[in-house]
Amino acid sequence: MTKQTSFRGRPRGLLVLGLVLLGPVTATAATASASGPTIRLFPTTVLEDIRHTGAVAEEMESGLQSIISKLDQQQQLFVEAKCDGAEGDPGCEQIAKQLGATYLDMLTVMNDKLPDMERAVTSTRNSLEKRLRTEVGKKMTPWDLQENLLGNTAQAAAQANRPAMRGRSGLRLSERFRQYYSLVASGGGSTAEQSLTVVAADIYLDMDEASMLIARTQEEISRATLLEQLNQSFGVITPEMQEVVQGVKSILFGDFEGDAPISGPPPNDVQQAYSSPLEM
Amino acid sequence: MKTIKLTVLPIVLLVLAGAGCATTPEPACSLPEGHNLRVAIETSKAQLTNGCEALFDAYFDRLMSVAEGDPKPRNKQTFSEFLEWTTDTGLLSRRQAQAYYNRYFNVKFMSLAGDYNNCSYTCPRQAELLTRMEEELSDKEQGLLRVSQDRDSYYRADQLLKETELVLAATCTACSAN
Repeated sequence: MTKQTSFRGRPRGLLVLGLVLLGPVTATAATASASGPTIRLFPTTVLEDIRHTGAVAEEMESGLQSIISKLDQQQQLFVEAKCDGAEGDPGCEQIAKQLGATYLDMLTVMNDKLPDMERAVTSTRNSLEKRLRTEVGKKMTPWDLQENLLGNTAQAAAQANRPAMRGRSGLRLSERFRQYYSLVASGGGSTAEQSLTVVAADIYLDMDEASMLIARTQEEISRATLLEQLNQSFGVITPEMQEVVQGVKSILFGDFEGDAPISGPPPNDVQQAYSSPLEM
Repeated sequence: MKTIKLTVLPIVLLVLAGAGCATTPEPACSLPEGHNLRVAIETSKAQLTNGCEALFDAYFDRLMSVAEGDPKPRNKQTFSEFLEWTTDTGLLSRRQAQAYYNRYFNVKFMSLAGDYNNCSYTCPRQAELLTRMEEELSDKEQGLLRVSQDRDSYYRADQLLKETELVLAATCTACSAN
């Protein structure tokens, strides 16, 4: 992510950072099934962290939803009034100023909520980091790892529900965490542990990426807020502003044309008729 | 007298050398032809036990190519039996035979064999290991998909590679953060 240096580009730089920040958090969750875990990747503390992160994401969504709706209405009015390019028209300048003010509101809400988000993400990341290091990094050889990923039983059932890895599904952010939570909280059911290892890795990488981007986004918000305040004097609605608002909507509320999953599940039945005595 | 001795000695040596060559003729190692896997395996067995064992890799590759011409699930067992035969005859060790079989016909990756923990062993050579897994996946494509028609196992191996890559990326980040 490169920072924008031009005046008009800065709002976009800010929000695109925001999107990149939020984007990884929306990585595809899984509905896997699990047998009782023999490694402890998701103790209660980690589950609580995930649940809390989801709650914070939901708060952020709630705070932004009404503002974004308002932005949509103002944007529609701006277009219908044919204000694009109508410089000097007093009515259009008024609409543009209102749009800019709403945009500032959005930045303010983001600025208010990001510290909570940062704490939640950092906590989840740290918990998972410790678990992955101990349980997968130090207690397993590479051979153990692949056996864990393959699982010993019920492969077909596990694969049917295997998580698609690190993609986007167009779900709301809070819904994503709700899925993560229900996925890992259903231990003792039929969930395959190998899937949980993948899910743990997936969430951890997302959180790691997100916590770095939160810090960068917070820096950008302060600067963009100041610039937009200055911009209010001129009443200019930049295309960049429109673009980033659309981006926030797509990430937060799932109004999004998702990419195809990186990896789809393999066919259901992997039972082999023949088992060689040489097989390891 | 001394001159005669000096003249006769090289001649005797040459004769002895010639006699030695005559008792160990070079093996006629020719890779099996044709499209019948059973016949190709029998031909290979005969030659491998008759001085051609140094060319085992080439024979194995040829047999795989022959099997590709007539892919079927039964081929997996045929190769397993062939490799067991190599251990019975002492051509390969059990471990070598397992390495061949599993590299081509099993979902699991031999590249992931290792006796030390992931933080200390796998993470420092993560990229190299993933490259080796990619190469092994290509062999599994031949063995599972093109020879044995076992699509499910091949796709599972492909998925396993992706999962391993993801889990190692996370685990090694966690290890390095310690």
